[in-house]
Amino acid sequence: MDTIGADIVLQILQEEGVEAIFGYPGASSLPLHDRLKDSPIRHYLTRHEQAAAHAADGYARATGKVGVCLSTSGPGATNLVTGIATAFMDSSPVVALTCQVNTSLMGRDSFQETDIVGITLPITKHSYQVNNVNNLASVLRRAFQLARSGRPGPLLVDMPRDILASRCEKADPPEETPSSAAEKVPSNLDQLGKIARALNMSERPVIIMGGGVKLSNACDLMRALIEKGGIPFTTTMMGVGSIASGNGYDLGFIGTHGNELANSTVHQSDFILAVGMRFSDRSTSLIDEFAPLATIAQIDIDPTSIGKNVKVALPYVGDIRETISALLNLVESRDRSAWLQRIQQEREAKDFCLPFKGCGKAGHLISMIQEAMPKETIAVSDVGLNQIWTLRTWKARTPRGLITSGGMGTMGFSVPAAIGAKIGMPDKSVVAICGDGGFYMNIQELATLSYYKIPVKIVVLNNRHLGMIRQIQDLFYEGRFNTIELGNHVDLVAVAKGFGVPAERISVDENPEAALAALARAEGPHLLEVVVDENDYVFPIIPPGQANTAMIHGVGD
Amino acid sequence: MDIKESVISILASNKPDVLARIAGTFSGRGFNIDSITANITRDPRITKILITTHGDQDTIIKIEKQLNRLVDIHQVTDLTSLGLPLREMMLIRMPMTGENQDKIMEIVDRYRGEVIETGAGYGVLELAGNKEDMDNAFAALEQLGIDDFARTGSITL
Ligand SMILES: Cc1ncc(C[n+]2csc(CCOP(=O)(O)OP(=O)(O)O)c2C)c(N)n1
Ligand SMILES: [Mg+2]
Repeated sequence: MDTIGADIVLQILQEEGVEAIFGYPGASSLPLHDRLKDSPIRHYLTRHEQAAAHAADGYARATGKVGVCLSTSGPGATNLVTGIATAFMDSSPVVALTCQVNTSLMGRDSFQETDIVGITLPITKHSYQVNNVNNLASVLRRAFQLARSGRPGPLLVDMPRDILASRCEKADPPEETPSSAAEKVPSNLDQLGKIARALNMSERPVIIMGGGVKLSNACDLMRALIEKGGIPFTTTMMGVGSIASGNGYDLGFIGTHGNELANSTVHQSDFILAVGMRFSDRSTSLIDEFAPLATIAQIDIDPTSIGKNVKVALPYVGDIRETISALLNLVESRDRSAWLQRIQQEREAKDFCLPFKGCGKAGHLISMIQEAMPKETIAVSDVGLNQIWTLRTWKARTPRGLITSGGMGTMGFSVPAAIGAKIGMPDKSVVAICGDGGFYMNIQELATLSYYKIPVKIVVLNNRHLGMIRQIQDLFYEGRFNTIELGNHVDLVAVAKGFGVPAERISVDENPEAALAALARAEGPHLLEVVVDENDYVFPIIPPGQANTAMIHGVGD
Repeated sequence: MDIKESVISILASNKPDVLARIAGTFSGRGFNIDSITANITRDPRITKILITTHGDQDTIIKIEKQLNRLVDIHQVTDLTSLGLPLREMMLIRMPMTGENQDKIMEIVDRYRGEVIETGAGYGVLELAGNKEDMDNAFAALEQLGIDDFARTGSITL
């Protein structure tokens, strides 16, 4: 067989260490799908391209490696868009390979032609359209390198069918790049010194960690910094799990749906060290009233994240791992017992009146799921009340052990992302926890699970409503419920069984032990539907447009 | 906050989608590009693009950071604070009859312009200068009946 463009694609994927990709074929992708047949790379046929993109993203989040998805041109490519945007918002390293119509048909509104590079311009880190087969190898290598370097993110490579089918030479091995193994030293030690001095002098410091800490594999160093300096910490939604929960300095996560203790501590602090986070509106709520007493120092590899949303007195651009390892030497421990005591008192008062962190019965159930599952289980949350319940109650033990769509809040993320996580981490158990609404959004992936016998466990918290929207209508639209009822006319257990996925239903009021044991024990995919009351909300919560201190409580809290 | 004119100079790869990425960086933040001028540099793989825009300093800095993040952009320089002279150029086609010819020539001379083409009763004028002069020259010529015109964006060094 002659070497063609498609072989080059597979050659580079192998060179990059890709073992599995998620995709869907069509006319334009056929040269590639044809050559995949004899390749050691496993191709998982999802039942929708959106799921392929989420699976690649979930794979990347669980493993730290680049996830790859593949689609044909036109509708195949546009179906990837939500998944690409989800990866972009959370800086997840994904390479999306889209196939394009023949070069000669481009620009003519040809069958299944779409300008996918144009469509995805604002939601990719960068993108390429390959118009010469001899450039294919270098473009793909560059795409992988860009996806994982600096602030990671999705790359898109659009490849016309004729380029994939063109004869060519096998790609030369990559040029040796000089190894950057030598420990890089932060460039601006002066500025770092200033940050350390401000931190050392502060009386009420707090550290806020975003997803960047995990992305830069700096969780161990952050823990060392926290323990050395004796500094309480919180995270953004994306940072949840950076440091195993149960650490005495842990305040929970900040923001609209975050922990009250975290919000209140940040509000009272006089110094904030922000690491790998961007102060998004979800974290700060009303920005003008955010942390009014604090001097802010911010460390990030991406200059655009610094000062994007708040005024930063001490900015620092650099790789987090390198920066924190230098900062670690400069930080001194200091007696801040007054500050820590104040936090401890608040913690006890809040724990006392907020069982299960304001997550009610569902929260209790989630903690029981965790107990039933093996210790290192990866949880993938969906979006809605179920997401907040999961993030607040799942005790993350490893940085990549809790996966969620933070920046985009994409319903339907959990099941396909869990597929990707399981393919990437076959030795770990993976459980997707979702609401009924989000479950419907990628329900077709049950077929992928049963076809490949992928042992992903799914828990659907079925409140028969778009619960989170219902809560907002209830609290802030005078209870005028509209367009939020999903109904209880669908038998999800029968649906799952119809897809070939064993399933069971319990109510949140029943003793779940037997059902959870079955879920944990199942050797293949397994679904547990848990019927939850539609009036079980998340409390406390911040009303839209208000400050982080304006958390309101539910009845009885 | 203080809204003022800014001039941003960009060195970018000379590739088809670069302009779209730059434009998207502005439009994604609700920013208008007032004028834009681009041409290749000594190295034909690199284009120099000059953009003028209006905004407060804070937002301009954010836009510059975003531009710097684009893979195909090699350098972004904010020229605003340097207070360098900005120049633009106009080509104007208008009827040139015996009667208004003198008036036209007077304006052209005042702004050190040139008639670069004449035809049956028409002339094409070339004028270059700062924005204010060009506005004034244009307004004066408009009185005499402009047929068609083209105006470049501002350039500076
Ligand atoms: C794709 C998508 N569409 C709409 C929304 C807006 N939204 C956020 S939460 C939510 C309700 C989710 O309902 P469900 O999945 O049943 O979860 P619950 O809140 O009931 O736990 C909606 C519609 C979204 N986040 N994503
Ligand atoms: Mg629901």
